[in-house]
Amino acid sequence: MKNSTHILVIDDEPQILRALRTILTAKNFRVSTASRGEEGLALAAATLPDLIILDLGLPDMDGIEVCSRLREWTRCPIVVLSVRDSEREKVAALDKGADDYLTKPFGIDELMARVRVALRHATPPRDPEVTAVRAGSLVIDLAWHTVTRDGEVVKLTATEFNLLAYLAANRGRVLTHQSILTHVWGPEDADHTEYLRVYMRQLRKKLEADPEKPRHILTEPGIGYRFISESQDDVARTD
Amino acid sequence: MRIMYRRLAGYLLAVALIAAITAGFSALRAILDATLVALLLLIPVGISTAAWGLGPGITAGVCAFLSFNYFFIRPYYTFTVHRSSDLVVLLVFLIVGVVISQLVGRARAAVQAASAREREATQLYELSTSLAGLHDDEAILRTVAEQLQAALAWEFLEIRLAGSTGLSVRLPAGSRLPFRPAELVIPIQGVRAALGQVRLWRMSPSASVREGQLLRTFASQAGLALERASLTQAESRARLLEESDRFKSSLLSSVSHELRTPLATIKASSSSLRSGEISWESPARADLLAAIDDEADHLNMLVGNLLDMSRIESGALKPQRKWNVLTEVIESVLARMRHVVEDHQLVLDIPEEMPLVPVDFVQMEQVFTNLISNSIKFAPPKTVVRVQARVGSDSMAEVQVSNQGPPVPAEHLERIFDKFYRVTAADRVTGTGLGLSICKGIIEAHGGSIWAENLSDGFAFNFTLPLRRDGTLPPTPPGETEVA
Repeated sequence: MKNSTHILVIDDEPQILRALRTILTAKNFRVSTASRGEEGLALAAATLPDLIILDLGLPDMDGIEVCSRLREWTRCPIVVLSVRDSEREKVAALDKGADDYLTKPFGIDELMARVRVALRHATPPRDPEVTAVRAGSLVIDLAWHTVTRDGEVVKLTATEFNLLAYLAANRGRVLTHQSILTHVWGPEDADHTEYLRVYMRQLRKKLEADPEKPRHILTEPGIGYRFISESQDDVARTD
Repeated sequence: MRIMYRRLAGYLLAVALIAAITAGFSALRAILDATLVALLLLIPVGISTAAWGLGPGITAGVCAFLSFNYFFIRPYYTFTVHRSSDLVVLLVFLIVGVVISQLVGRARAAVQAASAREREATQLYELSTSLAGLHDDEAILRTVAEQLQAALAWEFLEIRLAGSTGLSVRLPAGSRLPFRPAELVIPIQGVRAALGQVRLWRMSPSASVREGQLLRTFASQAGLALERASLTQAESRARLLEESDRFKSSLLSSVSHELRTPLATIKASSSSLRSGEISWESPARADLLAAIDDEADHLNMLVGNLLDMSRIESGALKPQRKWNVLTEVIESVLARMRHVVEDHQLVLDIPEEMPLVPVDFVQMEQVFTNLISNSIKFAPPKTVVRVQARVGSDSMAEVQVSNQGPPVPAEHLERIFDKFYRVTAADRVTGTGLGLSICKGIIEAHGGSIWAENLSDGFAFNFTLPLRRDGTLPPTPPGETEVA
């Protein structure tokens, strides 16, 4: 990791700030911290960090609000922190543009894996020439609507392709059930998580070497799915 | 109105009776002595009073007196009296007639009053018996309204409670109340304040004293019943609070002990690491670090259980039931419990065609976490912990978490899901005694049931989950063909 990579941590708990600063500095990141939402927004605008770690429980403003205010002007990856049982909050933050989430308490391996994935996929102005996504032996051609696995064409239904294309275009990001359903099926089917279950099973059967232990189409339990183009080990949850 | 007619009819009948008897006697005037006629004429006076009341009785008396004077006292067909003895007869007749009327009338009124009192007593008895077991305000109002229907004549009736609820009952049910103000309004009086009022609409505006009293008695009965109901509610609330208080204190004592155990490990490990006495290379260092990590996870699980328990206790545990893949829930738990389960062999036995189950993801995670961690705690290392699921009868999913641990004595099987219940002595195996009762709370909130059983080679937790949400299975997406 280059030591110029700059991470902004916004959290109101001094212990968490202290721990994250220590850990991330040890990993050669440049770290700035903010303990309030407004302060964090100002700092983000002034220092243009490469990644923002944002706690959803802030004293002065809602973390989800911070998330959507950031998304008004920056595509900088955002990883949100929240506690267990606040699924709703997490989902809201992801729908407002957060890239990933971590549930407190989290292990450092997991934090680093999330940070790495978020940084890798943060290539803000997406190259319009790139219309194919590579993931292991898979090549997804978004322009020609074809998918090949080890060079052989995989037959997909129209919905299966739309689903895969949406996942691949947002690779690395956690996509909530609702956002996938809205994009692929339309807003009127946004509650039909059972559709997703069925199609994900089909897609995995067609694309994954071992559908029971998927490497590319990963389930984010209770939240949604994520497409990973590189090795799965990078993002294995370890808490 | 009907009462007026009846009363008028009484007078007319009394007059008619006297007229008829006079007509009969006047034909026999030649052979009858005037004194005898006077005595005979007293009979219809008595009859009139007994049959139609005091008013008609006195009217009959006066009519008899006049007709006696007119038809039977010489000179006939005039009201003049010549002989002074006749005058005496007439006067005596009048006095006797009036006295008889009065006596008979009073007796009649007494009988009537007694039977009215008896009727009222019966009505009140019926009212109080039917109110006796009621604890619900609306049921009380409805009963009072129905009993009033039997007791009094009216067109519309409304009983309305004061206060924020504004609960009201009207009869005939669902009718529109007339625009005119109610003819009778009686407050329902409680001990401290008016609880509401009874309003009656009726044809004849005036209510008799008796009716007014009856209504007030009904209203006070209603007031008593309402207050009793609210006292009962307050009492059960108080009992609930007391229970929850007792629960909280046992929780506190259990938890403070339970939380200290992992904290003690963490504190001891981290301080010994900081002391600098353990070399970087020493295996003890790795052990201490692993202990800190494991105990932190353990603490996290305890806190999760506490949160769930307080939600179950406060009734706030409302599962967000969504269509989930059971395997996904279990895999997510196993990933998190990796360190804990590594001494055992964990086998997942769920058919691929297992349908989606409508469950709250986070809550089901907690159920599996608790059941698996409990299984591991009691089963010897290297043994198999098996998680099985299949479609059972009545569209229920049947899930079993089994281990090869020692059997649990039959008398504990029922009670292990109780709060703070431990099969073994508390010092041998740690736990808040909450984990299983949380599972029970969550499973029941999902509409399933949970039980434990001894197997031939171990011990198992079983639970069921409905496969339908609001009576339906998950909708399947529209089918399509492969094009690309």
